[in-house]
Amino acid sequence: MPSQPPPPPQWVLDLNSAPSNRPRNPSIPDPPGFTASLTRKERSQSSKTSLRKAPTPEEMDTLKMKKAWEIAIAPAKQLPMNAIGMYMTGNTLQIFSIFMVFTLFKTPVLAVLAIQRSFAPFETPGTSGRLIGVKLVYVMTNLLMLGLGIWKVNQMGLLPTTRSDWLAWEGERTWSERALPREWL
Amino acid sequence: MRFNAAVALAACLVPAAAIFEDDAYHIDFHHALLGLPKHDATFFQKPYAASKASLLYTISENHTIGVINPKDGALVWRQAPSPNANGKGLLRSGEEQDTVISAIGDGITAWSASDGRIVWEARMDGAVVEDLEILEQEDGITNAEAKDAIVLLSEGSQGVKRLDGKTGRVKWSYQDTSGDSPFQVSTSPTTIYYISLHTPLLGGSKLKVTSLSPITGKKIDQYTLNSDSEIQDHEHILFAGANTAAPLLAWTDKTNKVLKVNIIGTKAISTFNVPSKDAVEKIILHAPGRVNSLPHFLVEYQTKTGHSAEVYHVDLKKNIVSKAYSLPETAGKGIFTVSTSDANVYFTRITTEEIVVVSSVSHGILGRWTMKASPTLAGSYPVHGVSEVVVKSGSASAVRSAVLFSNGQWALVRNGELAWTRPEFLSGAVSAAWAELPEEETLAHELEVEGHQNVVSAYLHRIQRHIRDLEHFPAWLQNIPIRVLGNLISKSEESAIDEIQHDTFGFHKLVIVATKNGQLAALDVGSRGKVVWNIDLNQFSPETIFQGPSVKALRGYVEIRDNGFGGSLFINTTTGGLLSSRDIQVQPLVAPEGQNLVTFDLVNGDLKGFLGAQPSSEPVWNFNPPTGERIVSYTTRPIKDPVASIGTVLGDRRVLYKYLNPNLVLVTTVFDSARTASIYLLDSASGQLLHTVSHNDVDISRPIPSTISENWFSYSLTIDSTSSATSRGYQLVVAELFESSIPDDRGPLGASSNSSTLQPSEALGDVTKPFVRSQSYHVPEEISYMTVTQTKQGITSRELLVTLPASNSIVGIPRHVIDPRRPVGREPTPLEASEGLTKYVPFIPFDPKWHLNHKYEVVGVKEVIASESGLESTSLVFAYGLDIFGTRVAPSFTFDVLGKGFNKVQMLLTVVALFIGVLFVAPLVKRKQINALWTI
Repeated sequence: MPSQPPPPPQWVLDLNSAPSNRPRNPSIPDPPGFTASLTRKERSQSSKTSLRKAPTPEEMDTLKMKKAWEIAIAPAKQLPMNAIGMYMTGNTLQIFSIFMVFTLFKTPVLAVLAIQRSFAPFETPGTSGRLIGVKLVYVMTNLLMLGLGIWKVNQMGLLPTTRSDWLAWEGERTWSERALPREWL
Repeated sequence: MRFNAAVALAACLVPAAAIFEDDAYHIDFHHALLGLPKHDATFFQKPYAASKASLLYTISENHTIGVINPKDGALVWRQAPSPNANGKGLLRSGEEQDTVISAIGDGITAWSASDGRIVWEARMDGAVVEDLEILEQEDGITNAEAKDAIVLLSEGSQGVKRLDGKTGRVKWSYQDTSGDSPFQVSTSPTTIYYISLHTPLLGGSKLKVTSLSPITGKKIDQYTLNSDSEIQDHEHILFAGANTAAPLLAWTDKTNKVLKVNIIGTKAISTFNVPSKDAVEKIILHAPGRVNSLPHFLVEYQTKTGHSAEVYHVDLKKNIVSKAYSLPETAGKGIFTVSTSDANVYFTRITTEEIVVVSSVSHGILGRWTMKASPTLAGSYPVHGVSEVVVKSGSASAVRSAVLFSNGQWALVRNGELAWTRPEFLSGAVSAAWAELPEEETLAHELEVEGHQNVVSAYLHRIQRHIRDLEHFPAWLQNIPIRVLGNLISKSEESAIDEIQHDTFGFHKLVIVATKNGQLAALDVGSRGKVVWNIDLNQFSPETIFQGPSVKALRGYVEIRDNGFGGSLFINTTTGGLLSSRDIQVQPLVAPEGQNLVTFDLVNGDLKGFLGAQPSSEPVWNFNPPTGERIVSYTTRPIKDPVASIGTVLGDRRVLYKYLNPNLVLVTTVFDSARTASIYLLDSASGQLLHTVSHNDVDISRPIPSTISENWFSYSLTIDSTSSATSRGYQLVVAELFESSIPDDRGPLGASSNSSTLQPSEALGDVTKPFVRSQSYHVPEEISYMTVTQTKQGITSRELLVTLPASNSIVGIPRHVIDPRRPVGREPTPLEASEGLTKYVPFIPFDPKWHLNHKYEVVGVKEVIASESGLESTSLVFAYGLDIFGTRVAPSFTFDVLGKGFNKVQMLLTVVALFIGVLFVAPLVKRKQINALWTI
């Protein structure tokens, strides 16, 4: 006689069939802090009806302008630190200071060249007019950086700004008379 | 130009160069000269009694005592006591003595024979030593210790003195108040003979012989020889035999027809007729100078075409002089020397062809050697000499003779072979000039031709020149292995090059040296001063008596001028041949292009400038110093004085513009009574006075050397506040001229590129005067001459070359040490320090590293000349006077040539090793790359 397997215990049944999240009794409110997991349907519904309202394009533009200004001012923020670094390295021609000066020249020039690319994310029909000013400021701050580089190069004595740098192009005077001792003739 | 500026900057920063140890004796050379040796004071002598080898002692015509090692001609020691002493120089040495005694002027000095130290010194104030003899024997006994000296004095206190051989103390003196002119002293074993010339009012001179006792100096006897008809003057006396067993007195008449011989101590006069048919020009008597040698002597007769000799014997018992035999006449020039060996006397006949040794006893020839021809002695003949003969078993086995040749070479001939030569004629150098090598000259000429043509024809000309140059190509190819090997073994290039030829660095340059009596020689400075050619100018102008010719080097030839003749001689620099003025285009040293030529000269004590090359009567300007002052000398900028930078760059990179005027002339004047010296800086085109400075308390009897170069000048003075020699000081003053005192300012002329001092433009007003910065320094020694180094482009910093007669040296003072802009009384600011300026100190000690002559003693330097070399870093320096010295100077180090320490072999080995390494590693790397591709 085939024996029947014993019925599964209660805990197994409990485990297999999780209790419904839905309160049996809707009149009983959920305890504070408890968020009921949403069903798929509810989830799709809730995404459609987001709590935050989507920003208007004007707000978006303002935000982008803010971001653009930040980028435009960034080189100026680096300026004091760079200046201190340049001052510290001294005016001697060493490989370290030469590299620093080189980057000081390279960065602003490259930045200005890549100006369209770096401001492309902020380009919208609404901002394009206002972005010109920002770009100008960006160029200005980069120029400041370049100015620091030039100041440094000048400090190092590499700029031909003094008379001695052009001395080789200055000629000896020609004298319209030549006097010789008689014995040399 | 940028590079130049960078090099100039580098040149300013590096410290002054010294001579490196491995360069010494390679880049420099030194001829330690004596001057032409005197015949009667040249002898072989052992430096001390036990010595095995003898040395060659001499006193030269310029009173330098020198000792030469006969083996190699090297100088053992020399002393030049007083260069301007009057009287004749005498040098004597007793047998087996360790001293030699010299007499020059009023000073008698005994020198240690082996090292030249002073043993004693005696000064006969006011007198002049006429003769000096060593008292070999006293009463027939040889004094083994220091032998006494007998001196004959003239002028001040005429008479004979005996000086102690050990101390120089006067033992006795004999005063002669007769007023006769003293001639000579002669000693015999028992008596001292004092020979003087008694000149009565009428007629010729009589020979007066006074015999003195050697012990007391008392007069024993006095007699007069009847020689009126023959002797007029000193020159007619041939010989007054010194120290011989038979002291002789020989003289001849004016026409050299008769020879008269008297044995001193007797009154008899033997008369001999001169054998030659031709007119005898000169008779010389050679007698041995030793007491114990045979009393034989030789009389040499020189005619225009040949020479002959007769040997005479003296019979001491009978007091008879008789002729023994005669040596036949030989054509050509020749000399005789006498040498002794024990009692035997040998005569050596030296001609240009052979050397013959005969004994005094018989005319049999003991030895004969043929003279081997040598290029150094080509065309010259012997003038006088001394010999040493070694005789073994009746034949002469060896003979060595130190012979002075007519071209001024002093040579030692050993068995007919030339052992060494010393170019003693160079000691009389009075003028020298640098000459380019002929190859460079021709190249310069070709380039000049090309420069004047148009482009196409110049190009064709250049191609033709290059095709012509191809003929040297095979020889060049053949030379490559030798050159490469020579480079690798780091053998000095100088020794590899025998012939004068163009070297890569231009170190080979000729210096043409003219001596006082008209000898001209070319020395190759690159080959340690080798004499390339050597000629006597007298052959070109026989009537002239040269009084110090001056040399001027032009393209391919030198021009010789002398006060003795009117015109000039043109000599080819390569060969030493005479060029007629038609063969060459006479070009001026400086060709002013588009400039007005002004010449100036010292006329009657005034410096006068004339327009044009021809001396016109109307001077353009005239500089006559203030009353009482006289012009001592004037100096100009060198002919070639390239200036790399027209300004001095300051620490803050501003520019002080140099006042560069090619017409600057520095005039030195002295005021004799006020003892002041003044320096005037003139513009010699206009005669305008640009700067003047005066110094008080100057010893004006000392030289005031000065030099001017670029935009600075310097001079040196002897300051003497008390007019006694106790408180002397030597000053060196340096001044620098700038266009303006303000940096970055070109002065009143502004930026205008041309200027004229003769016709200053109206707007600029008067002639612009430079701003002068000057500083003076005390120097430890007197400076007798100064000049400045020269380089090709003037980029290298300059050195002031000064000669120091007190320490016999030449010093190169770096320019930055005597920079007049050194800050006074304070430390230099960082900007000034970056310029290389240091704090002013009033005293400049001569750093031993500055001495160019290192271990050499360069004696009697009159002048130093400098020239550019092929390298910008290096300047060639040549000093002449008594000695000849040459070196190379690199004031900013040799920055453009590899040093001797550079190991070429190591470099090549490294390259080879790297190459082999690459060969091995390359397959490995390749395999690894392929594997890397396959293992993905």
